[in-house]
Amino acid sequence: MKKTTFLLLAVLVVFLGLASICTAEEGVTDTTIRIGQWGPQTGPAAPWGAVARGTGVLFQMINEEGGIHGRKIEYHMFDDAYNPAKTKAGVKELQEGIGIFGWASGVGTAPGLAVKDYLMQRKIPWVGPAAGSLHWISPPQKYLFAVYPLYYSEAKILCKYAIEKLGKKRIAIAYQNDDYGKNGVSGAEVELAKHGMKLVAKVPVELTDTDMKPHIMQLRKARADLVLLWVAPGHAVRIIGTGRAMRFTPQWMSTSTCSDFPLMMAISKGLWRGVITGSFAQLPDSTSPLMLKYKKAFEKYAAKGERWGVFFYAGIGFVEPMVEGLKRCGRNLTRERFVKEMEGIRNFKGIFGRIDYAPFDPNDPYCRQGQKELFLIQCEKGGKAKSLTGWMEPD
Amino acid sequence: MGELVQTLVSGIAVGSSYALMGLAMVIIYKTSEVINFAQGEMALLSVFLTYMVLEYYHFPFYVAFPSALAFALLLGFFLEFAVLRRAKEPNVLGMIIITIGLEMILMGFVSWKFGAEPKTMRFPLSPYDSLSLGEIFVSSLEALTFVVALTLMTVLFLFLRYSKLGIAMKATQQNKMAARLMGIRTNRILMITWGISSLVGCTAGLLIAPTIMQPYMMWDPMLKGFAAAVLGGMTSLPGSVFGAYIIGVVENLFGGYVSIEFKSAVAFFIIVLVLCIKPSGLFARHYVKKV
Repeated sequence: MKKTTFLLLAVLVVFLGLASICTAEEGVTDTTIRIGQWGPQTGPAAPWGAVARGTGVLFQMINEEGGIHGRKIEYHMFDDAYNPAKTKAGVKELQEGIGIFGWASGVGTAPGLAVKDYLMQRKIPWVGPAAGSLHWISPPQKYLFAVYPLYYSEAKILCKYAIEKLGKKRIAIAYQNDDYGKNGVSGAEVELAKHGMKLVAKVPVELTDTDMKPHIMQLRKARADLVLLWVAPGHAVRIIGTGRAMRFTPQWMSTSTCSDFPLMMAISKGLWRGVITGSFAQLPDSTSPLMLKYKKAFEKYAAKGERWGVFFYAGIGFVEPMVEGLKRCGRNLTRERFVKEMEGIRNFKGIFGRIDYAPFDPNDPYCRQGQKELFLIQCEKGGKAKSLTGWMEPD
Repeated sequence: MGELVQTLVSGIAVGSSYALMGLAMVIIYKTSEVINFAQGEMALLSVFLTYMVLEYYHFPFYVAFPSALAFALLLGFFLEFAVLRRAKEPNVLGMIIITIGLEMILMGFVSWKFGAEPKTMRFPLSPYDSLSLGEIFVSSLEALTFVVALTLMTVLFLFLRYSKLGIAMKATQQNKMAARLMGIRTNRILMITWGISSLVGCTAGLLIAPTIMQPYMMWDPMLKGFAAAVLGGMTSLPGSVFGAYIIGVVENLFGGYVSIEFKSAVAFFIIVLVLCIKPSGLFARHYVKKV
């Protein structure tokens, strides 16, 4: 009798165990949701590594508040050094090793491209890549939700402002010779063409370039009165500094990737003053309740020496829609349900601009582009930002 | 015409920092035939410590800079004594691998201690002020780098050719065993060589840091310095400086008149070309070992 009871119990345990395995979604348990992210903590792109650390602080805050419907977020972040090979290896290791429910943010176009197909083929959700690349939405992917406004759109907005508000006639661009820079070039060209204009110079900058004199000579030769800098912060500073040394001082404009004004002012020894950039998020000194809440979490959980800069809290903003999607799922969390709930997000407002998604339509790239708007800011004395416009969308 | 002159001046200006790194690499190669891939990161550590002394402890320049050079000298001594000398049955390839390991350790330490965010160091001259002659510009910092590179080259050249220590260094490179039999303490010579090389590298770093500092900042100058040294023949100090100026000028001419996209890569194309035509480099007079 005893033996039979034991056997029955054993069968029951195995059956229940199997049943729970069959119904549970990968990366989700009764008490946890596993989320992954890569980010460069070493190497040349390491300043952007703050994004992944910012996300970590948000998740810590959520866990402290009790998690999402009783589940704590188990956050797995790794350093890919902005090396696509390392990104792919790290994602595969975590995905196939411990099982990740979905991926949050992740810095860089090239690292993201290295894993895009892998994640999409396995129907694994990925929300808020930290790059405004067209690759995320053209063609749109059912499980990929972009947040960062497109570089292409940002270039259009900047050019429109340069022509219509600043009256500039000779616009040039210095661009990083990769997908990031080329997206900026194409946006600028389209907007200028609308006004019957062309870029007077297109000067590529390689990641390894440190001497910017040839670039400045080309820009000066083209007699540009406004130059768009679609490059990394270090290169942007070198270009402006070399321009100053060669007495070439047009109006400079740059992208949101160079909108961390306190940092830019510090490394440019004050030359960043007057530069206009796009901004996809509230300003660092914003006193909105949400920003104040996040800032408090930053003070509580961030590592010593961490700075409340744009890249850091962008790591929070990129995953806000993901958290919203998880909340909308309730206890019944599956990937399909999550995608459905994400598609239902409209007029969502966190610390970024307005975010809208729509049901998946392979012919509508914007069904997966959450944020389309941004506003323009100008760097003032001491690295303060002055808003030049309200939230704008490209035409 | 003005544009061409500006291109040439810019090429010479940028070549100066390559020249300093090239000199640092040649000094070690001349005595031990080891290519020191940790050269840039040795300078990096000295420069970041200078930054710490200047920004955190607010020491004046006249204390911080000489301290940095003294530290660099000691760092060179230490690495040779504590790491390279400990290698069992060392061959040149093994030593090179050790320097690559050192490079990783030093960069990792700097990244860990100072973080990855770009920084800039205070300096008596602004990197963005310039000297001009009509429409030709050169930044004050680059002019200083030019003067420092030529001065160091001359001093090192005279030191190696005419001083007792310099001759001992040359002897150590040519035949370590014979040098020891002549009473030269070759281990000590190698240690001094590493110290001097580290000091020269640190000088380059201090002149690069006022623009932008980050853990990767010495990688490109080190590669270009290496390219310059190879071009000059690896054993010739004037050769490495001349090689550096050739690279700087060709890069700028290529960027200005051919393709700005491949400007940085042209240095390595020049190396391949020169090595095909003159494998020992432009200025080398190789000591041939008789078999």
